[in-house]
Amino acid sequence: MGDLLGNLATGFAVALTPANLGFALMGALIGTLIGVLPGIGPIATIAMLLPLTFHLEPVSGLIMLAGIFYGAQYGGSTSAILVNLPGETSSVVTCIDGHQMARQGRAGAALTVAALASFLAGTVATAIIAMLAPPLARIGQSFGAPEYFALMVLGLIAAVVLAHGSVVKAIAMIVLGLLLGLIGTDGQTAAQRFTFDLNALSDGIEFAVLAIGVFGVGEIIANLARSGESRSLLAKRITQLMPTREEFARSWPAAVRGTALGGLLGVLPGGGATLSSFAAYVVEKKVARDPSRFGRGAIEGVAGPEAANNAGAQTSFIPMLTLGLPGNAVMALMIGAMMIHGIQPGPQVMTERPTLFWGMVASMWIGNLMLLVINLPLIGMWVQLLKVPYRFLYLAILLFCAIGVYTISNSAFAVILAAIFGVVGYIFMRLECEPAPMILGFVLGPLVEDNLRRAMRISGGDPMIFVERPIAFGLLIAAAILLVIVALPAIRRSREQAFQEG
Amino acid sequence: MATDNHDTVPRAQPRLRILARKDVLAGLMFMGVAAFGLWASRNYPVGTALRMSTGYVPRLLCWTLLGLGAIVLVQGLRRVPSAAATPDAAAPAASGLRPAVVVTASLVAFALALETFGLVLSIALLVALASLATRDLKARETLAAAAVLSLLTWAIFVFGLGLPIPVWPDW
Repeated sequence: MGDLLGNLATGFAVALTPANLGFALMGALIGTLIGVLPGIGPIATIAMLLPLTFHLEPVSGLIMLAGIFYGAQYGGSTSAILVNLPGETSSVVTCIDGHQMARQGRAGAALTVAALASFLAGTVATAIIAMLAPPLARIGQSFGAPEYFALMVLGLIAAVVLAHGSVVKAIAMIVLGLLLGLIGTDGQTAAQRFTFDLNALSDGIEFAVLAIGVFGVGEIIANLARSGESRSLLAKRITQLMPTREEFARSWPAAVRGTALGGLLGVLPGGGATLSSFAAYVVEKKVARDPSRFGRGAIEGVAGPEAANNAGAQTSFIPMLTLGLPGNAVMALMIGAMMIHGIQPGPQVMTERPTLFWGMVASMWIGNLMLLVINLPLIGMWVQLLKVPYRFLYLAILLFCAIGVYTISNSAFAVILAAIFGVVGYIFMRLECEPAPMILGFVLGPLVEDNLRRAMRISGGDPMIFVERPIAFGLLIAAAILLVIVALPAIRRSREQAFQEG
Repeated sequence: MATDNHDTVPRAQPRLRILARKDVLAGLMFMGVAAFGLWASRNYPVGTALRMSTGYVPRLLCWTLLGLGAIVLVQGLRRVPSAAATPDAAAPAASGLRPAVVVTASLVAFALALETFGLVLSIALLVALASLATRDLKARETLAAAAVLSLLTWAIFVFGLGLPIPVWPDW
């Protein structure tokens, strides 16, 4: 316990420097901005800003990028409630009851409850990270190559199970990502792989180029193809922010349940904000005495999911920070941000760079506090932003994508590559192949290969090493069980239901 | 392996046909990439399980992808339903073609122009080309957008962050 307080003190000392406070605020503001705006999400934004963090201190850069991620969870609820458009996928369920509340003139109360629930969740999740991370990192430090290989396989499989859509397609997307990750110079034999004699490819595909292309540019093409804007902004002026006593009494238990659920689901590989919010909505409907109120402006339907998505967003940092294992695409980007600074993600980060680790954890709580202020009194400002038409927005997003990619390596080739990935990303969307598992595969590709090769060398080429080492075997068994479970018809059906709910 | 686990669309019946077609295409895409990968890596030394060489893991992954693609393809083919097609649900393929071409062209033009013509002209080029993606933008609005974005980009990237990007043509 004393250790924990000492660590947090270290963290707050880092996070409270004026510069880092500034970066936390900037991250929170940008996050809220892109959260409010439909058509651009945290993945594309973080990918765009990734090259810029190269010019910052590592901890400042990570503080800002993290702020964007959880800031987007706050902002997403605003457009969900006011316009019935989810600013982020994690706010999809907030639309259902939040927008109904807005129609009944309770927009202010819904926004307040959403922000307070998110803040509660953010505070608890920060504490969970601080308590859970050190023991997990200690376990991670005892891992060798076979254990890491098994862990990554489990992580990739879990990402598939928790993603929605076809399981086979998701696995195929992971394999595709793993392959893309191998492009470039083979680290062990120095041979060129899939570079087609192009010099620009010999260092491999830059992670940000792939992410900006698939998520940023691809998203623009998809939005333009959909065409036809229709946004009905409710409540031009929000008058009453305070929820009534009854609304408050209904929301806080829901927020607590959502926090617990989101905190748990966020830690799982493939989990995170979106899954947590869906699950929380289902739970609220189940525990409600009168489930028929849901869909007609039940405030629990706002409080629960909003708490859950923020909690899930934050606890998804745990496997990334302690094991170097990204559970979702945003965490993969955070790993990319660390690698830009030459920091190898893994359990050693916490011991070798305590200021980086604890500074980031402390900044999360500070960032959540900032977001509460940013979102509640300043709500009017964000509402104005919703009036910016997409025909201006996409020009700006496209330009920032282009410049973001160019500045990574001052190369025109990278921009062209991003354009190609943009079209590829759009094709994926049309074919209902989710790109997020591919990004995970891409990041983990070289690591998976490296650990597999090393494990094989340890065992003298005998695959039995994965059976003989108990931890590695256990992890692989868990992965196999997950695969079997998802293939069972009964479970498959309820999984589909969970993603369809609402 | 699972055969019907993508019913994320609530109204399943009318959409099944499209889903099926999407799976067929997706399966072919995966198999195509895998075949291309196998062809490109045909000369890579594979090595042994003990000393995996350059080609071991890539070729293993390509074969896996080929198999997975085949499963997706078969799933897609098996699911062709007799239900009547709904033309409204099937968005015309052409609708995405224009933005895809226009967006790609504007990025490529920007990339090629930046180093010789500088930031301002390249942004104008990007905005002008990209504005063709939608009919909603008026000429006046496009001009204004180009001006505002040039100023903003200059302020953030050149003035603020000091990135070495040429602003004007260097003649």
